[in-house]
Amino acid sequence: MTATLQIRNLTVSLRGTDVLRDLSFDVGPGKVVGLVGESGAGKSMIGRVLAGALPDGFAVTRGTATFAGQDLTALPPAARRALLGGRVTFIPQEPLTALNPLLTIGDQFSEYLGRLSIPRAARRDIILSALEQVDLPNPAQMIARYPFQLSGGQNQRVLIAMAFVSDPALVVADEPTTALDVSTQMSVVSLIRRFNRDSSTGLIFITHDLRLAAHVCDEIVVLYAGEVVERGPSSRVMASPRHPYTRSLRGSIPEMSGPLHRLIPLADSMPGIGAFAAMPGCRFAGRCPVADPTCAARPPAPMELGEGHMVRCTPACLEGAAALTPEPLPPVPEPNGAPILRIEGLSKRFAPRRGLWGQVRDPGVLAVDAADLVVRPGEFVGVVGESGSGKSTLARLIMGLETPSAGRILVGDTDVTQASRAARDTRLQTLQMIFQDPQSALNPRRSVERLITQGLEASGAPDRPARARALMKDTGLSADLARRFPSELSGGQKQRVNIARALCVVPRLLVADEIVSGLDVSVQAQILNLLMRLRDDLGIALVLISHDLGVVRYLCSRVCVMQNGKIVEQGGVSDVFSNPQHAYTRALLAAIPPDDAADTWPPATTKDPAHDAA
Amino acid sequence: MSVIHRLMHPRIIIGGGIVALFALAALLAPVLPLRDPASQALLYSLLPPAWAPGGNPAYLLGTDSLGRDVLAHLVYGARTALYVAVLAATGAMLLGTTLALLAGYFGGWIDWLVARAVDTWMSFPPVVLALILLVGFGAGINNVVLAIIIVDWTRFARVIRSEVIVIRRRDYIAAARLSGFSHLRTLVSEVLPATLPLILTLFSLEMGIAVIVEATLSFVGLSVESNVPAWGVMIADARVYIYQTPWGVMLPVLAIFSLVLAFNLLGDGLRAALDPKLRQRGGVAP
Repeated sequence: MTATLQIRNLTVSLRGTDVLRDLSFDVGPGKVVGLVGESGAGKSMIGRVLAGALPDGFAVTRGTATFAGQDLTALPPAARRALLGGRVTFIPQEPLTALNPLLTIGDQFSEYLGRLSIPRAARRDIILSALEQVDLPNPAQMIARYPFQLSGGQNQRVLIAMAFVSDPALVVADEPTTALDVSTQMSVVSLIRRFNRDSSTGLIFITHDLRLAAHVCDEIVVLYAGEVVERGPSSRVMASPRHPYTRSLRGSIPEMSGPLHRLIPLADSMPGIGAFAAMPGCRFAGRCPVADPTCAARPPAPMELGEGHMVRCTPACLEGAAALTPEPLPPVPEPNGAPILRIEGLSKRFAPRRGLWGQVRDPGVLAVDAADLVVRPGEFVGVVGESGSGKSTLARLIMGLETPSAGRILVGDTDVTQASRAARDTRLQTLQMIFQDPQSALNPRRSVERLITQGLEASGAPDRPARARALMKDTGLSADLARRFPSELSGGQKQRVNIARALCVVPRLLVADEIVSGLDVSVQAQILNLLMRLRDDLGIALVLISHDLGVVRYLCSRVCVMQNGKIVEQGGVSDVFSNPQHAYTRALLAAIPPDDAADTWPPATTKDPAHDAA
Repeated sequence: MSVIHRLMHPRIIIGGGIVALFALAALLAPVLPLRDPASQALLYSLLPPAWAPGGNPAYLLGTDSLGRDVLAHLVYGARTALYVAVLAATGAMLLGTTLALLAGYFGGWIDWLVARAVDTWMSFPPVVLALILLVGFGAGINNVVLAIIIVDWTRFARVIRSEVIVIRRRDYIAAARLSGFSHLRTLVSEVLPATLPLILTLFSLEMGIAVIVEATLSFVGLSVESNVPAWGVMIADARVYIYQTPWGVMLPVLAIFSLVLAFNLLGDGLRAALDPKLRQRGGVAP
C-alpha cells in the first residue's frame, strides 16, 4: 500500500537558517499521524508547506512532499491548486475566525462547493447531508444561521463537514480542539476519527497534547524546534518514550489515575527561530537533562529502534534519560487551623440591560449561584468547570473585583462583603490574585522590579529593590531580569512575575484564575511545581480555577465542580476523581483522555451533540 | 527598539522640523533683524517680493497696501497662530482627556453623560459654533482660544474614551486595584500612561486645526485687533488687491498651509511610531 503523502527530508529555511530540519514521515490511507510539539516547534509549518502558503521569506530548500505521485514543493502554485483542489483539505484551530461572520453557514458552504465546481442545483442536498453526518441538529435550520449564533463546537463541526465533503485523500487538522471545552473536544475527536475510519482519508493531526495524540493517532511524530526528535506508533511513544524531550513531555503531564509523581519540568523554554543559527547540533541540548558537550556540536543521526520507532539521539543520552525516573509525590499534610476564607451563599446576578424603550437588550445571567466554600491555611482548593460555568466570576467576587448580589465573604473573622475601606485593606492583605493572561495582567510600561513590588507603592514602603530581589528568588526568576520589561520576557517568566507580584504583600491565600492554560506543558510543570514549593515554604493557600482536571488533581487536596454557576459537587480530590457523584463530574472526567494509550478513548458510543449546543 | 530610534520617522523629522522652524521664528521675532511690522511706508506700498520684477531688496517678501513689511508680518503672525495653537490644543486636551478618563474608567452614569454630551456637541457644525460663541464672548484672541477649547474638547474625549474602555478591561488595571491603589492612583499611574501616545498624536493634530480656525476667525475680524499681525488678517487685507499683487494672499496662505501640514505630518508620524498596533504590522515574521 503506497502512502497518501510522503514527506522526505523536508527542510524549510528562513534567510539561511533551517526552521524545519530534515523532516520525514508518511501518511497512509485511513491513517492518522499526529504532529506533537510545543508552541514554536514548527508543527503548523507543515500544513503551510502543503498549502504552498509559507510566510514571506520562508522557503523549502531541500526534500520533497510527494502527493499522488507528484512533488508538491516543485509544482507551481496553479498546478498545485489544480492537483490539491478538494483532495487535501484543512480543519483550522479557531473555528470562529475561520468562518466569515457575514455569511450564513449555508452560503459559505455553497461558496466552498462552488470552488469545487459543484453545480448550484446540487449544492443544497450535499450541504444538508454533510451537516447531518457531523451530527448537527436540524441541518435545514442550521444553514440559515450565522457563525456567531453557533457554539464553538458547532462551528468546528461545520468546518469538519466542509473538510470531508469532497471525500479528500488527506485532511490536515491544526489543533482542531484546542479552543474547545473538554467534552466538546471529545465529541469532535470522535467525529474526526469516525470520518477517518469510514473513508480511506489520511489525517495529519497537529496538537500540543501528547496524551490526546496518543488516543487519536496511529503514529506520533514529536517535533522540537523544527526537528523530528522521535517518531513511532502512538502506543509505543506514549507508553515508552525514548527521547529525553519526549520523556520530559510525558513527565510534564499530570497523571489522571494511579499515584502521583512529581512533574519533571524542563528548564527555560524552547529557543526561538532567531537562536537556531547558533545551534549546529541537537537543538534540545541546551535544555536536555542528560546532554553531553558533543550533543550541541553535531546533530545526532536518526536511530531506528524497530517497529517503525525512530529517535534522533545518541545511545548514551537514551540510557541517561531512561535512568531518570520521577519521584512519587509526598502526601499533602491535612490542613488545620481556622479558615482563612469563608464564602456563604455567594451569588452574582448580572442584571438585565434594557434599552431606551424598556426592551431587554441583554437578559442578564445568574453567573454564580449560592456558592459555599471554605479554605484553610495551606490548603489548595481546585475549582473546575467548563467555560461559562462561573468560575472566573467566583474568583473576581472573592477578590472584590465584582460586587456580590447575595451572600457573605469572610476573611478570617472579618466580613468583607461590604466594600468599606477597612474591609478592602483586610482583604488585600490576606488575599491576592494571579491573573489568567500574563500578557494583559502586566503593565507593559513597568519594569519587572516595579511590577512585582507594585503592592508596596501605595503604602510607600522603602526598600523596593531588596523586596524585588527576594521575590524573584522565591519565584525562580534570575536577578538580572529586574530591569526588563514584560515584552522582553518569555511566557513562563511573565507568569512567574505575575505570581511574584501576588506574593509581594505576603498574602495567606492566592486566587489563581487559569494561570497555566496558556503555557506549554513543560513550562506549565515549572509553574505547578513552583506553587507547590510556595505551599511548602510559605504555607500559602490557593484557590485554583482551572478547566484542566489533571492540574487540579496534581496540586489540590479539595475540588469544587461548577456547572452553570452552581457548585454541583465538592469534596476531597481523590474521592471526587475516583468516585464522582454528580453526572456532570462524571462527564467531565470521561472527557479526559486516559494516561494509558491502550484504553479506548473516546468511548465508541460518544454521539452527543447536545453537549456542545450553545 | 528604543523610543528614540522609533521617533526617527521621516514624517516626524520633516513635520517636527517645520514646526520647530516656525516656533523658533515666532519666539525670536523681536530679536530677528526684521522691520517693525507696524511701520508704514506708503511710498513703497504693494511691492512684490525682492526677486520678482519691481521688487525692492529692502523688502524681502514685499509690502502690503500700507507699505508694511510682509516678512515681518508673517513672522509676527506666526506668534499669533502658535499662541492660539498651543493654548487651545492644551485646553482642549486637558478638558477632553479628563472627561474621557473619568467616563471610560468609571463607566455608568458618568460615561453616559459624557458620551451624550460629546454626541450632542458634535452635531453642531464646528466653525458655526465657534462663530456663535465669539459673537457671545466678543472678539479677541483669548476668546478665540476659549471658543476652540469649547468646540474641540470632543475630539479628545471621544477617541480617548474608547481607548480607556479597552485599557480598563486589561487585567493589569485590576491588578493595580488589588495592589491597594486608589481609583485616582490607578487612573494616573496605570491608565493615563497607556493613553499618552494617543494624546500626543491628537494634540499635534489639534494644533493644526487651531491654526486654521484662528486664521478663519481673524479673516472675518473676530480674532485679534486689526493692528496685531495675524495670517487671517493679512489674507483679508490683501484680498482686495489680489489682481495687482497676488503675493499678498499667496504668502500667508503658504504659511498656514505649511504649518498645518507640518502638524499633520507630525501627528501621523507620532501615531505610527507610538501606536503598538501599527508598530507590530511592520514587525518581523513569526
